Amino acid sequence: MNPAANQIIFIVDDDESVRESLRFLLRSVGLATRALGSAGEFLSGYDPAQPGCLVLDVRMPGMSGLELQQELNRRGAVIPVIFITGHGDVPMAVEALQQGAFDFLQKPFRDQDLIDRIRKALARDAGVRASLRSHEQIRARLGSLTPREHEVLDCMIRGKPNKIIAAELGVSQRTVEVHRARVMEKTGADSLAHLVRMYLVADPDHNL
Amino acid sequence: MKEDQALTAMAQALRQADAPVAGQLANDYQVVLGQMLNVSRLATIGEMAAGIAHELNQPLTAIANYSQACDRLLDQDPIDTGDLHMALGEITREAVRASQIMRRLRNLSRINEMSRAPTDVNAMIHEVVALAGVDARAHDIRLAMSLDGNLPLVELDYIQIQHVLLNLIRNATDALLQVRTGVREIQVRSGLSAGGALELAVCDTGPGLTAEVQRQLFDPFFSTKPGGTGLGLPISHSIVRAHGGTLGYRHNTPQGACFFLHIPLQPVSPQNAT
Repeated sequence: MNPAANQIIFIVDDDESVRESLRFLLRSVGLATRALGSAGEFLSGYDPAQPGCLVLDVRMPGMSGLELQQELNRRGAVIPVIFITGHGDVPMAVEALQQGAFDFLQKPFRDQDLIDRIRKALARDAGVRASLRSHEQIRARLGSLTPREHEVLDCMIRGKPNKIIAAELGVSQRTVEVHRARVMEKTGADSLAHLVRMYLVADPDHNL
Repeated sequence: MKEDQALTAMAQALRQADAPVAGQLANDYQVVLGQMLNVSRLATIGEMAAGIAHELNQPLTAIANYSQACDRLLDQDPIDTGDLHMALGEITREAVRASQIMRRLRNLSRINEMSRAPTDVNAMIHEVVALAGVDARAHDIRLAMSLDGNLPLVELDYIQIQHVLLNLIRNATDALLQVRTGVREIQVRSGLSAGGALELAVCDTGPGLTAEVQRQLFDPFFSTKPGGTGLGLPISHSIVRAHGGTLGYRHNTPQGACFFLHIPLQPVSPQNAT
């Protein structure tokens, strides 16, 4: 799978030789890169909306790679992080992975290993961003419902027939039918099953 | 260890101030210290091995990246020879960088008799800082230099004085690890003392030394570090005295410890340890 045109691989390593050689290698396989010498440099230009992945050196002066990962977690960043390290430091790798690192590679690595992992990370990033976008869309659509339409929605997803909904809300069956049609129209749901899925996405903690 | 026991016995006798025995022991002490110097230097290398391994791994990683990229570039049509030349040039540069690291390590591990030669002190300090810088960076410590550019060549044993400086930087690093906030800096200075001797100093922004610790600074086997041998400073002291110089301590301003050594610009025959 080829990366989308707008995806960027960020390389953060304080060692200029390693950084530049990585950039050269990734460029030779047609990947777009941006190389930075420190965690601070990366953060100062950091755009959460920029799709891609981060290839990050664990050990750097100032803010370490692990600290940068924690900072990104605090900011709710979705960018996948591939750690590279010169040490076979198992506790460090475990900590990084527990904090949600995408992968961990020991320097020097086989180029194909790195490239494969980068491609997987880019696919993951694209997937996460697409689902985030669709979640936002769903929330926006559900948010456009009137309070009365919301009440009808709540009843619909519990599988209640129109007659019961009408009785519970104290309105005519004809009115329920009109609200029902508006709910389907506003949410863009094709079916009741689709509507239920959307409802769960928007409010995953809700007990049906 | 045999040397350990011998040194303990000597140190005890010296503390009891049994003058004739002490005089005899002091000579032996010098001999044993000489042997310990080699052991201790190797121990310092051991401590730095992890750092050196990391440092060596960087150019090797760069070389691996460039050569693998070259392999890919060769499969392209048309082949971009400009990119290939550039990458091959980088590979050469990185190989040289790796061999420089090896050379520094080899110099350090060469065990030799005291051999003094006119030395460019500042160049020596640059090399020490390059060696110790790896370890300092790993601990997020800034290792800086403040050098007098007008120093003459000084007769000294390059390897031994380098060992003293590494030992002092190592101590400063340990002291700074206790500092959680604020500046963590070690400065290596060169210059001339008020008395016209060469002065080299290693100063840190750590907690400094208490009067109690200062009194026992050069006592063999006295150490404030868990697992410390208590031999680093006595050996350094002995090396500097063998150069006809002195090793001393003062507070650093505004805070921290400052160890300095004075070495006469004109060679002086080695002093006896007593």
